[in-house]
Amino acid sequence: MKHPFRFAAAAAAAAFALSGQAAEPIVVGVSIAQSPPGSVVQGTQVKDGIEIVTKMINDKGGVLGRELKMIYEDDQGIPEKGRAAAEKLITRDKVVAVTGGHQSSVCLAAIEVAHRYKTPYVNTNCWSDDVRKKGYPEVFNPGNYNTRVSSAMAETIAALKVKSVIAFAENTDYGIGQAKLLGEFLKKTAPEISYKYVALDRAGKDFTPAVLPLRASPPDLVVNVMLPPAAYILMNQIYEQGVAPSAKTYFYDGAGIADYPDFWQNVKEAGKYMLAFGLYHPKMPMPELGKQVADIYQKEHKTEPNRLIFQAADSVLLIADAIRQANSTDGAKMIEAMEKMTFSGTRGSFKFSQEPGYTYHQWVDIPYVTYQLTEIDQPLSQTTLIQVPGEPLHVDRIKKPSK
Amino acid sequence: MLALDLFVNGLIIGLFYALMAVGLTMIFGILKIVNFAHGEFYMIGAYTYTLVSLALGVPPWLALPAAAISGALLGWATERWLMRPLYEGYGSWGLMKDEYAVVVTFGLSLLLINLVDKIVGPYPMRGPSLSEVTRMSIGPFMISGQKLITAIVAIVLLVALALFLKRSLWGRQVQAVAQNRLGASIAGIDTARASSIVFMASGVLAALAGALLAPVINPSPDVGIFPAVKSYVIVVIGGMGSIPGSIVAALLLGVLESFGAVYLSYDYRDTFGLVLLILVLLLRPQGLFGERVREV
Repeated sequence: MKHPFRFAAAAAAAAFALSGQAAEPIVVGVSIAQSPPGSVVQGTQVKDGIEIVTKMINDKGGVLGRELKMIYEDDQGIPEKGRAAAEKLITRDKVVAVTGGHQSSVCLAAIEVAHRYKTPYVNTNCWSDDVRKKGYPEVFNPGNYNTRVSSAMAETIAALKVKSVIAFAENTDYGIGQAKLLGEFLKKTAPEISYKYVALDRAGKDFTPAVLPLRASPPDLVVNVMLPPAAYILMNQIYEQGVAPSAKTYFYDGAGIADYPDFWQNVKEAGKYMLAFGLYHPKMPMPELGKQVADIYQKEHKTEPNRLIFQAADSVLLIADAIRQANSTDGAKMIEAMEKMTFSGTRGSFKFSQEPGYTYHQWVDIPYVTYQLTEIDQPLSQTTLIQVPGEPLHVDRIKKPSK
Repeated sequence: MLALDLFVNGLIIGLFYALMAVGLTMIFGILKIVNFAHGEFYMIGAYTYTLVSLALGVPPWLALPAAAISGALLGWATERWLMRPLYEGYGSWGLMKDEYAVVVTFGLSLLLINLVDKIVGPYPMRGPSLSEVTRMSIGPFMISGQKLITAIVAIVLLVALALFLKRSLWGRQVQAVAQNRLGASIAGIDTARASSIVFMASGVLAALAGALLAPVINPSPDVGIFPAVKSYVIVVIGGMGSIPGSIVAALLLGVLESFGAVYLSYDYRDTFGLVLLILVLLLRPQGLFGERVREV
């Protein structure tokens, strides 16, 4: 051989190139709020859940022998930024799917992009029914939806035998959507209840004028349909005016804020006696995979996980399963796989509904709980469960303040 | 009764607005520029108060002066390093005063928001309350101890500022510089020091407003945007550069928003100030307390 070294170098280069090709990661796009005005708390939780499960998948050899890699974009909870983030992830980063969405207005903007490029979009936590009603085949919803919350809340409210209800809703697709739906469900389940909602600016800092009219004639129940930080400010101002929680008036959160890590730091007394709709509770039945994710989170963060950790984990697991079952990263094949599969995730097993409307590509029977916070700084595990999946409501467990 | 409730709530909110707006109008009065970083002076005060108290374990009443010092230092540094070129004759810069001020203060605003976002974090952080009383009845009114203290401190600060400007030597010098910078300079007044005093006072007022409201508004890095926008509206309504004008306009806006939110619509709460602004600009362009100025 005339040039043994040159031959060896060429062979090594070829081997390196081949190994590089084999190890090329599968890239998934994640669009979340990492800075205000979006809900950064939610964004961080979603990211934490994604990181845990991505590591779990990669530690087991990845997907189809390839590593799973996440590319994060900060959408700031702003629809235009969400749209731009999806566009960038799909066209420049060539992601196989987009996930992470946790604010409905942003999801509604981002799914237009995913639909245009026929890229799978796994909705992590956008509750607005409109995300489903669009009927886009690319969009899959393993998370919660407004109709589910509103119907569950209406059932609880009817059981409480209250006469008047007022909801404070943020002026977003999610907030207004949920407040209107709650009204519709209450009309069906308890038509005798008088209900109205007030739309508030999610960037607002002073909600006292909206609360003051309630002081003279407080309703029997106040519902929160706002996300932090506005939700915390509203709660404090409702409490400060003596409206709720009080001996007369329940305070019922429908936005799932009670398990946020910064909840108690921001509300204190205003959170005591709050009733909460929840999608996760440590006492809920949970698959082994879910317990595993919960343990890892608890070890890493020294605090209890919340629903977003599991929803985010399931979003990634769903994408990974779709790639495995399609044996491809092709969008159309992944969509087909997701439509046909029975997915088993951290919160249970389900099949996506094909019914048009708000149930389209949705986990319809998503489990939920109703619980009450009875002490300041109370960890989620010590809250009182009022309802667990598959069991009737126990309104007799609900406590009220003495005044 | 509701009307009275709304009136009192409007006055309290108006006092918060006044603390912010007075600092802004003072800067305009003396330098004839708008400080676009004024909301971030407020944000720095809110964070200083919250962090000094929560992270260092300092009692809230002692964290309050720390917030005031942070505002004073920020005001001093802004004036010393960013504003001096405006009036120290840096060649053609003087001719582009407005553009320079807009760019520099806007840049400072973005810098401070992003610094806090990266260093402290983007989460809302509720400051410790100065009072343990979460709600109390004063006659027919319901108020938190914190809001009551804030309102009282705001009144004390505004009165102290008025006394400082009217009675003290430095205050009179500031007034002289506001009336005629060149004339004051010829009369032997240190105009640079007067500007520095104004920026420091403005920083202290904004920072204290932020600190006092930290337990109420749960500060996050962008918390200054909301009061800053209100302040700009108030300053124009009251008359640019007029301190009494700003106080009256702030109280007026607070009450108007409070009533409008209930009797008209909460959805349009932030537009009431803008409607008032348009009316003032149409009927009295110099503002409620402003003076008509002719330039040749």
